Amino acid sequence: MSLFMKRNKPGVVFNTQILWRLNSTVAENKDEEEFRVLDILKKKDSRQKRIVRRAEVAPDRAEKMPTDQNWGNVWPGPRSFHPSSVPLPIRQGYVPKGQVPPGKKANAELMKIPNFLHLTPPVIKRQCEAIRKFCTEWPKLLNSEEAIDKHYPVEIITSDYCHASPTIRNPMARVVTLRIKLANLDLDKHAKDKFLRLVGDRYDEKTDLVTLTADRCPLRKQNLDYVNYLLTAAYHEAWTVEEWEKEKMEDDMEYYVWDNNQSKRNLIDWYHRVSGTEQVLSDEEYRNYDISSIPHAKEYKEAVSNLFNEGESEETIEKYGGTVRKLLGLPERTV
Amino acid sequence: MNSSIFKLIQNVSAVSKSSAILSSQFHTSPALCRVVSGKYRITKKRDKPLTYEMANPPHYIAHRKTWNSWNTSSLKDGLRRPETALEDEFIRRFMNGTWHGLVCSEIIIKRQFNHIRVAAIIRRAVSPTKMYFLLGYSEELMANWLHCPVTLELQTVDSFKDVVFKYI
Repeated sequence: MSLFMKRNKPGVVFNTQILWRLNSTVAENKDEEEFRVLDILKKKDSRQKRIVRRAEVAPDRAEKMPTDQNWGNVWPGPRSFHPSSVPLPIRQGYVPKGQVPPGKKANAELMKIPNFLHLTPPVIKRQCEAIRKFCTEWPKLLNSEEAIDKHYPVEIITSDYCHASPTIRNPMARVVTLRIKLANLDLDKHAKDKFLRLVGDRYDEKTDLVTLTADRCPLRKQNLDYVNYLLTAAYHEAWTVEEWEKEKMEDDMEYYVWDNNQSKRNLIDWYHRVSGTEQVLSDEEYRNYDISSIPHAKEYKEAVSNLFNEGESEETIEKYGGTVRKLLGLPERTV
Repeated sequence: MNSSIFKLIQNVSAVSKSSAILSSQFHTSPALCRVVSGKYRITKKRDKPLTYEMANPPHYIAHRKTWNSWNTSSLKDGLRRPETALEDEFIRRFMNGTWHGLVCSEIIIKRQFNHIRVAAIIRRAVSPTKMYFLLGYSEELMANWLHCPVTLELQTVDSFKDVVFKYI
């Protein structure tokens, strides 16, 4: 009713039944007091006229805005663009050269694009100030990557997902990845070998990282427990020595160990023969013989091991040849 | 469709066992690669009104005009693709039917988390009271159907002529 009264001059009496009827036909009788007569033959001159009453649209809110207002209160949250609330002369749209792009009113393109009118710098500053009290100080001792690696060797990687749907749960959020440097695990030679066999291709030689990923359980907590269990189980399993592992022969070795092989015996025998101190050694003595007394023996050991473990290549062959020359006291290759 | 063709082929091969008859049953013609969807023909009098959306054919999406639906389902590895597409279509039809003859633009649907924001340009042809009613009515019903809070963000214009971009 108040809406109606505002739009009409005071003093004019209207039929209160028709408060608001737009695009409707209203009989405009000269005498409003009279009852309307049913005019079947349309004899009367006064025809029913169609009157379109337009709503008087209030002026834009943007025009009344003071220049020193708090914009965060005008546009508090994410919202589609509305031309009446934004006091900016914006235009958007592609037009041929020489024409003016469509203005901000009745411009669907402006309504489509996401805007950041609710995230102006002062608003962001205010929000940051508001949540500052929930922040805690970063521990002073954890000031570098090395310190973090040292105190927290186990790295747990999970992902949170933002997406639009009636539910906020994303099944991909359950995946948990555990990373740890192999050097951080307390393993001896046998245990390390066994551990690497257990983890298989989850170990990356370049970065020395063991990566365990679990996505078999429906919840993140369960997967986290599972990767922890996997690491624990693999570690303890690596330390156990089974009875049958003692039966491992030289043929079963998966890589070339110079200390166990004929090459070392030949080198020691040759050295003794050359230096004139020939002696008979047992297998155990051969294995534990300290080769640092023989000049260039360390390089020779490396060269032979590389040749067997990495395979024949130009580099390994050349290195092998060079060390043998040094060992035998021959001059360097000149070609 | 495919299975029926397959059966047909099976039957034919069972009866005739020759490919000559089979090939004679298919009439093929070269495909007419003329794209007509989303494009409007020029009238003789050049008096057909087009909005900005209609004036730019679909291949200008992301160049001259943007998408009408904004959601994460259409991204790579997005969830609920069919559901989102179907819901968007439903929202468009519901809006066009509820605000019958009043919608002057495409229905723009933006989804953020579980919040659906529906934007449109509406003609001021009904009283504000009716508009407020329709607003609440649409929001309430769609929120119930889609299980999400729905917000209508409407802009009003005087008549359809306000959104006309050009005449062809």
